[in-house]
Amino acid sequence: MEDLKTEIKEKVIEALKLADITPSDIDDEAPLFGEGLGLDSIDALELMLLLEKNYGIRLANPAEGKKVFVNVNTMAQYVADNRTR
Amino acid sequence: MKYSSSVRVTPSGIVLNEKRLAFASSGEDLLVEAYRKQIGDWPKFFKMDPLSKAGFVSSELLLSSEEPRKHDCEDRAVILYNRSGSLADDRIYEGTIRSKEEFYPSPAVFVYTLPNILTGEIAIRNKYYGETSFSVLEEFDPTTMIHGLESAFLDPMTASAIFGWVECGSEDDFDVCLFLVHKEGEGLKDFDEKEFLRIWKI
Repeated sequence: MEDLKTEIKEKVIEALKLADITPSDIDDEAPLFGEGLGLDSIDALELMLLLEKNYGIRLANPAEGKKVFVNVNTMAQYVADNRTR
Repeated sequence: MKYSSSVRVTPSGIVLNEKRLAFASSGEDLLVEAYRKQIGDWPKFFKMDPLSKAGFVSSELLLSSEEPRKHDCEDRAVILYNRSGSLADDRIYEGTIRSKEEFYPSPAVFVYTLPNILTGEIAIRNKYYGETSFSVLEEFDPTTMIHGLESAFLDPMTASAIFGWVECGSEDDFDVCLFLVHKEGEGLKDFDEKEFLRIWKI
């Protein structure tokens, strides 16, 4: 699971072009939206694309993203439970 | 019309108020270097498309000598022109939907597939609530551009404008010439087509 979390952090940094941030800067429990990384609604759509592109996960209901994208821990758990690739 | 500052930004260098700034990079890296050294407090820069990166850095440098820097106002317009619209970003977006096997349309890229997103970026950064426009011309045409500026100044609310040309064909291909133009102002240089072309040729 730790490797998956690190991988997800790397992909988030790349997909969202978070300059000057490294995986170690992102706390597993820190909220991705609001405080934390300060992501916005477009970033949320990019995260959905990230799941589909890298793990074959398509969120049928965008509202589901609110639960999935709480922090890196929730993302990693969701990927581990639902990945098809 | 008068102007208080000008900036020329090309892949080979940056000239602010007719003085060349010292940077080690060129092309896209020049914009990143200028951002890191002269701006640095707007991380959204790294998410922008090539056109917005070029226009944003140019506008920030243009405004860097304004004292005090105008902020949160309704009397400043943003009037921009170019030839290629958002073509640089259009190409990048096209790359995300080119094949059925790799069909992942990027929302973050898609939002920049209009050139007037740049005027919005500048307005948001500075909290400008005045008129903004981005027009696409067949070619660089200072007569038409200045006519548009004069029209903007017919609005009694508009007292100044970030005005000029922001052309961008790709990450490493941009050509910017911006002015901070004022409807009137004591001690400022006159702004007309001849002055526009003089700075353009620097």
